[in-house]
Amino acid sequence: MDFSLSDEERAIRDTVRSFVVKEVLPLEDTVLRRERAHEPGLHLEELRELQQKARKFGFWGLATPEEYGGMGLPAVVQSLIWTELGRTIVPFRFGGEADNILFYANDAQKEEFLLPTIEGTRISCFAITEPGAGSDAANITMSARQDGDDWILNGEKTFITNGNEADFAIVVAVTDRSLGARKGGATAFLVDRSMGWRSEFIQTMGEGGPASLIFEDVRVPSRNILGEVGKGFELGMQWIGKGRYTIPSHAIGIAERALEMALAHARSRETFGRAIGENQAIQWMIADSEVELEAARMLVLRAAWTVDSGRDPRHASSMAKLYGASMVNNVVDRVLQIHGGMGYTRELPIERWYRQVRLYRIFEGTDEMQRLIISRDLLRGYTMIGL
Amino acid sequence: MNIVVLVKQVPDSGAERSLRADDNTVDRGAASNVINEMDEYAIEEALKITEAHGGEVTVLTMGPAGASDSIRKALSMGPAKAVHIVDDALRGSCAVSTSKVIAAALGGLNADIILCGSESTDGRVQVLPHMLAERLGVAALTGARKLTVDGSTLTIERQTDEGYEVVTASTPAVVSVWDTINEPRYPSFKGIMAAKKKPVDTKSLADLGVDASEVGFAGATSTVLDHAQRPPRSAGQKVVDEGDGGVKLVEYLATEKFV
Ligand SMILES: Cc1cc2nc3c(=O)[nH]c(=O)nc-3n(C[C@H](O)[C@H](O)[C@H](O)COP(=O)(O)OP(=O)(O)OC[C@H]3O[C@@H](n4cnc5c(N)ncnc54)[C@H](O)[C@@H]3O)c2cc1C
Ligand SMILES: Cc1cc2nc3c(=O)[nH]c(=O)nc-3n(C[C@H](O)[C@H](O)[C@H](O)COP(=O)(O)OP(=O)(O)OC[C@H]3O[C@@H](n4cnc5c(N)ncnc54)[C@H](O)[C@@H]3O)c2cc1C
Repeated sequence: MDFSLSDEERAIRDTVRSFVVKEVLPLEDTVLRRERAHEPGLHLEELRELQQKARKFGFWGLATPEEYGGMGLPAVVQSLIWTELGRTIVPFRFGGEADNILFYANDAQKEEFLLPTIEGTRISCFAITEPGAGSDAANITMSARQDGDDWILNGEKTFITNGNEADFAIVVAVTDRSLGARKGGATAFLVDRSMGWRSEFIQTMGEGGPASLIFEDVRVPSRNILGEVGKGFELGMQWIGKGRYTIPSHAIGIAERALEMALAHARSRETFGRAIGENQAIQWMIADSEVELEAARMLVLRAAWTVDSGRDPRHASSMAKLYGASMVNNVVDRVLQIHGGMGYTRELPIERWYRQVRLYRIFEGTDEMQRLIISRDLLRGYTMIGL
Repeated sequence: MNIVVLVKQVPDSGAERSLRADDNTVDRGAASNVINEMDEYAIEEALKITEAHGGEVTVLTMGPAGASDSIRKALSMGPAKAVHIVDDALRGSCAVSTSKVIAAALGGLNADIILCGSESTDGRVQVLPHMLAERLGVAALTGARKLTVDGSTLTIERQTDEGYEVVTASTPAVVSVWDTINEPRYPSFKGIMAAKKKPVDTKSLADLGVDASEVGFAGATSTVLDHAQRPPRSAGQKVVDEGDGGVKLVEYLATEKFV
């Protein structure tokens, strides 16, 4: 068993690390200051500029296949990169990406939706969740009624990331009520905002926020169906599957950075005549955090490796998402505690992480849904203990 | 243009660094090792020159086996190949013997320009470029903040405390650079993937015809006998302003030779 990274993996990670240190970290104070004033931390133009800078040395489209100008990286390497990006509070991500399911688009749709999304000239969002259907996504009710060669969409999607900014949405709607979403009753549509849906901003405890998308008799031509009629639910599950290892990869980066801050504070902050790090109460928080952090790293890298090796990644990914999300919540909570009153202020990024990482236990499959998947596969004998 | 860039692996100056208790040398085992920062600027300058004028860049490193990490990193920025001088007898080498070994390795490389950083962040002696030029019998264009190549004529702006000097020489020459000269590129994704396939020629002292007794601890012209932690900072001096605070401050700066 060899836990070391290959030369290439290490070189890619180190390059991302130095890019983050030189180009992204210097923006942190600005981001914190803007967010304190309730403005977006990073403007879209600034994000694009950083992305173009990275593109010059080939860091563009981590998951995007080479024929589309991307890097086509294995999941393990993508995971390492997301961890590096987690080390900064600046909401930076590399450009050249598109929703994984957009690659199922036909040639005309690729021109219209996929390529401009990769290029960054169009912004997509993916919408399956509804006010009445979150964890139970198969229970969606948004209707798509056929009318000649068009479909008429009615209903509401909610909690849609990028829903405020997107100029098109990948929407999963019910095309055959008699079948049920799982059994061929749901279809994915590519719906331009100009076709008539509108969005409403949702305030959250995090920075920025998702949107509700409201569809009232939105007319969508058949040529805008993504994939096949009746295959929408499968596409939706595939979209969500991707986040199962990127989210905890990001969580590892956050926890690394936060724990480093805690170490520095524990060494330098003195109470009762000595560094607080000399007290067992603080030492145990540090030790527990480090153990959980490394355990999460192993689970996440194994989940990514499972993806790369062509195995069914669901079990490993669910464990990684469940544990990674809970780990980062524990670590950030302890790091805040170690910082005392300062940790609670908005001078430091800790309280921001505290608000941000709470989401990780909710979206793209709640803790409970991950547990459901893990235990169900064991109980029905699909997954064996110890394998 | 045939350019050789000298690349040294050093302990990361951003992390905790220490000397070994047994022989007073830099503890390379404990530190996280990186390319000497100034050398990245030398690599960038070499790549820019060959991009504009053609030619090939070779990386030359003297260092333990672990230095191969830094060689790969250097190669991922773009150079075509590397030479790695590895020999157990090299441990403890002083600047004089280091220059002897590197000069011997350069003998076979036929370089028009030998580019290097002005100093390394571990030793900081700043003498190697000059020693090398002396041994090779070529010009030393050191401390450059700008380098222009016109045929076989090299012109640098040598950075000084007061400003800069314009110095010219013809190739071959040793050019050392400061971090003001350019902005080093990031290794590109393609460069990273290509680095593994680039040739790295490993040389021992015997290959270079240098006797082990002339280098390392055996041949060192200077030896570190002892070392100690920097003493903790002593309390500063307080200046109480009684209307003459400004004068007192300047007087203090003058006695400390700051002004
Ligand atoms: C910031 C943010 C961004 C989002 N982005 C998107 C997006 O881009 N696109 C999109 O489609 N959706 C998005 N979502 C929606 C997200 O995926 C859902 O919020 C999530 O799936 C949970 O659904 P819900 O909120 O309806 O909770 P519910 O499903 O109502 O669950 C409520 C609670 O009950 C638990 N629960 C439910 N069923 C069971 C069960 N059978 N057993 C045990 N416990 C159960 C859940 O775990 C949870 O704790 C986003 C959400 C947020 C907050
Ligand atoms: C919103 C807010 C309102 C406040 N209002 C007031 C106010 O009105 N008036 C006022 O006077 N103060 C106020 N405070 C200050 C508050 O009481 C202190 O923040 C608190 O006492 C902790 O002190 P500290 O922040 O200096 O943390 P520190 O004392 O530096 O502690 C840092 C960490 O080390 C731990 N620690 C310290 N010593 C030991 C030890 N010996 N063994 C084990 N662990 C140790 C602490 O538990 C903590 O986790 C307020 C703080 C905040 C954030």
